[in-house]
Amino acid sequence: MRVNRIGWLLALGLSLAVPGSAQAPKPVKIGAINSTSGAEAPIGETINNGYILALEDLKKKGINVELIREDDTGKPQISMSAMEKLATRDSVAGVVGPYTSACANAISRLAEKYRVPLLVPVASKEDITRQGLTWLFRLSATTDDYAAILIDMALKVGKPKSIAIINENTDFGTSAAKSAKAFSESHGLKVVAEEAYAKGSPDYRSTLTKIKGQNPDLVFMVSYVADGILLMRQAREVGLQPQAFLGAGAGFGNPAFAKETDISNNVFSSTQWTEEVTWPGAKEFAKRYREKFNKEPVYHAANAYASLMIMGETAAKAGGDREKIRAALDSGKWNGIMGEVKFQDYDGYTNQNKHPMLVEQIRNGKFETVWPATFTKNKPFYPFPKWK
Amino acid sequence: MASATTSRFSRSALIKLAVGLVLVGGLFAVPRYVSSPYALHIMILIFLSTIMGESWNILGGYTGQYSVGHAAYFGVGAYTTVMLMQFRQVPPWIGVWAGIAAVLVVALIIGSICFRLRGPYFVLASIAVAEIMRLSATNLDKFTKGAEGILATEIPVFIIGEHVVTDFLTKVPFYYIGLSLALLTIAVTWAVQHSKLGYYFQAIREDQDAAHSLGINIPLYKNIGLAISATLTALAGSFYAIYVGFVDPSTVLSLDLSVQIVLVCIIGGIGTIYGPVVGALALVPLSEALRSNAIAEGLFKSGIVDPASATGTFLKENLAHAHVLIYGILVVLVILFMPEGLLGFLRKLGARLKQGRA
Amino acid sequence: MTIFLQSLISGILVGGVYALIGIGLTLVFGVMRIINFAHGDIMMVGMYLTYMLFSMVGIDPFLSVLITFPLMYLLGVFLQKVLINRVLDALPQNQILLTIGLGLIMSNTMMLAFTSDYKILSTTYSSSSFSVGGSSISQPLTISFLITAAITGGLYWFLVKTNTGQAIRATAQDREAAQLMGINVKRMSGIAFGLGAGLAGTAGALIAPTYYIFPQVGSVFTLKAFVITVLGGMGSVVGAAIGGIIVGVSESMGAVYISSGWKDVVVYVIFLLVLLFKPAGLLGKSRM
Repeated sequence: MRVNRIGWLLALGLSLAVPGSAQAPKPVKIGAINSTSGAEAPIGETINNGYILALEDLKKKGINVELIREDDTGKPQISMSAMEKLATRDSVAGVVGPYTSACANAISRLAEKYRVPLLVPVASKEDITRQGLTWLFRLSATTDDYAAILIDMALKVGKPKSIAIINENTDFGTSAAKSAKAFSESHGLKVVAEEAYAKGSPDYRSTLTKIKGQNPDLVFMVSYVADGILLMRQAREVGLQPQAFLGAGAGFGNPAFAKETDISNNVFSSTQWTEEVTWPGAKEFAKRYREKFNKEPVYHAANAYASLMIMGETAAKAGGDREKIRAALDSGKWNGIMGEVKFQDYDGYTNQNKHPMLVEQIRNGKFETVWPATFTKNKPFYPFPKWK
Repeated sequence: MASATTSRFSRSALIKLAVGLVLVGGLFAVPRYVSSPYALHIMILIFLSTIMGESWNILGGYTGQYSVGHAAYFGVGAYTTVMLMQFRQVPPWIGVWAGIAAVLVVALIIGSICFRLRGPYFVLASIAVAEIMRLSATNLDKFTKGAEGILATEIPVFIIGEHVVTDFLTKVPFYYIGLSLALLTIAVTWAVQHSKLGYYFQAIREDQDAAHSLGINIPLYKNIGLAISATLTALAGSFYAIYVGFVDPSTVLSLDLSVQIVLVCIIGGIGTIYGPVVGALALVPLSEALRSNAIAEGLFKSGIVDPASATGTFLKENLAHAHVLIYGILVVLVILFMPEGLLGFLRKLGARLKQGRA
Repeated sequence: MTIFLQSLISGILVGGVYALIGIGLTLVFGVMRIINFAHGDIMMVGMYLTYMLFSMVGIDPFLSVLITFPLMYLLGVFLQKVLINRVLDALPQNQILLTIGLGLIMSNTMMLAFTSDYKILSTTYSSSSFSVGGSSISQPLTISFLITAAITGGLYWFLVKTNTGQAIRATAQDREAAQLMGINVKRMSGIAFGLGAGLAGTAGALIAPTYYIFPQVGSVFTLKAFVITVLGGMGSVVGAAIGGIIVGVSESMGAVYISSGWKDVVVYVIFLLVLLFKPAGLLGKSRM
């Protein structure tokens, strides 16, 4: 109750201060489906941090959002429960989330059915926006993009002939590996090894020894942070020495990975966001994120932040009217910490933001954006130096 | 005396029948009066849990074979139906029969391996087999699309003759299918309990060696129990797959799911007809309430806790995180203090009340 | 040949840690006939304990075993007295669910306390290795293998030579007969569960420098422990040690000669074959 009153006063003050800019500060209800317990919780937490910062900033803009958080525990049918509840019982104006692609796929048609605008922040599986749905919007880049940018960079800065693909056999892992394979083959790279491993195995030495025998020029990996560290530690042990280690987002873009400088230096990873990029507000976001959560900001948080900002602003402007929000998302254009966001129809996608990917390289435990040249002056360091 | 007891028995049976009919009739009428899709969704999940619990009950409760690998049958049913629908355009009401056929084959293989084992060895073997199924579905990605799972894009419209029965666009058809399947599994359980089959099953459960010396063909009846149980579980799997529209190994073939199936039955009351119903009625709304933070909301609405206060913020932030913890604590408490499940506990309570009145 | 040797050696080293987990479970199972689904979660608690000791007090993970083991032993005795004891005579499915519930409680308590972030315990030697004949051998895994071997030896001595140890073995062989012989079966159960928890916690401490820690890490190891226990014969310490190494080696061989994705299937198939053809396990006496 008290929060509401303060928010109301605050909004009133703002609307008085800036005449005509803000309307009646009735809170707009937005749902957030996320995985905050279960196996997906580590990243779910990061996403939630992004939402927390977005709520603060919306409030500063005089937009009072009542965020209804739903935990789907990473399970599609529970994600559906959450969506049903938000759409019909809580009557939200729009929904951001869910985290995983499996959940996003499961609820995509519910959004259509209940005519609720759904903005997907990070789930990257291609088919989510390939169903021709009109109420579903995706800010995140697709899985294909994660693989393409890395291999493309390697082909442009070096002369690799062969590639080995190591991935965890999860949803993201399998589809990223598939994308990498397709991209490599269409660009004349020979795929010499494909290893899909079960997440959480303590020992990858024998797999890596086998790959070393193939002597690949590129090693492409899709792993979460912990397995990423193990893979690199053990790659060093067995002396796997390609021209470049390429990590498709996820674990390799995680600060905990970068901190392991013995094995992380010079590893490339693809990401949707870095703080060095010239997108407006990126640096401030990173600074505030560090101060508030005492953690390094990662792209999941930035994607989540931008998604809720867009949804919040659009919903407030449309007075919570779902049809109007959908139309505004469809035709609108935003420029924020994720660069320019626009939901377009192309290559069989509907309402897909054509998000430019970035490549980072770890130097002395810090991520540096090194590719593409339009976003950075840094040059990628290639090939990978000899293991000490 | 004798006539008095028979008449009382038949009267109570009649009352039971009447109550049952009214309940079932009421359930069939629900979609007419309840339009909230969320409420219907929760009901559908309750039906689904009931089907799973009842199916497991036939093998675990009556025959005494504690399988912790029922996800194998659920998953094979789900996968077969969705794969046929998505890759071969076979409508689900035909695909489900293929699903049952596939599950029966799997059950026969599993049965021939696991039924040689007893007690804990059987439990562990059933887990191992289900894990092999999960890993196979994950690794055979050319066939099953692996960990990416299969998204069912569209369910064909169900037409008999010229008449459109349903287009599956609302919750209502799923509600009726779920309700019918749940009633079917209850009816099957009732039939099993009131037949020779049930008698053989329970003999095997109570003492396998004694049952053997009575001339009961143990492998045969164990396999019959498994076949019934697996078929019904496959129905649950197919129903789930069509309803959710997405299957992947980590949801429909996981150990978590196997445990969930056992949980519904044991929390409700193992080896009884209505135990799994009680289990589903308790567990589904409970986990939904915990997950959606309804407890904190209730406290706020009733004015016991001010949402803006420190306690309020704490509850808001943490109860949502703690829902699995609370769930775990409740499971432990039920096992410790209601070893016969909720139904057994309610019956005891009822008996005690009656005694108190007499 | 290098590949074969490499996978053999790393299989054996990892198998050492598996063995320790398996030994803990086999003791509990042998004495109490309870399939403990919370075993991996107990190990997870041990991992967090090691992590805290390392990051807050700076105690080396291998040294911290001296603290972890007794603390986890006490936790085990406590769990046994308060919870497990009440269901010793209950139906087996209730015992299973109780331990599952217990596992949920432990992992979710840890999640509330430590968040679900992955914790990585990086020591100076975490990724150091030495090379023998072209194969790389992880230094921390070698140390933990040696510690495991010492603990297994010590435990074996305890079970064979001491009175308490003999009483535990007697209880494992035949609970009723042991009771008739005047053995305090309840007490033995407490000790067995304590030792089981202590060993699981120790395994957690030993694997911590080369692995990672998160609240749900336990379930992977619970399943492995089941396999190991059955392979070796439920209740057999030496069997579990051998079972652990078999699992480690089949995993790493399976990963190389079949594929990483199928290696766990290899383990489960071996498990089923043993169940079918030698149900008492490799070293167990038949109790079917």
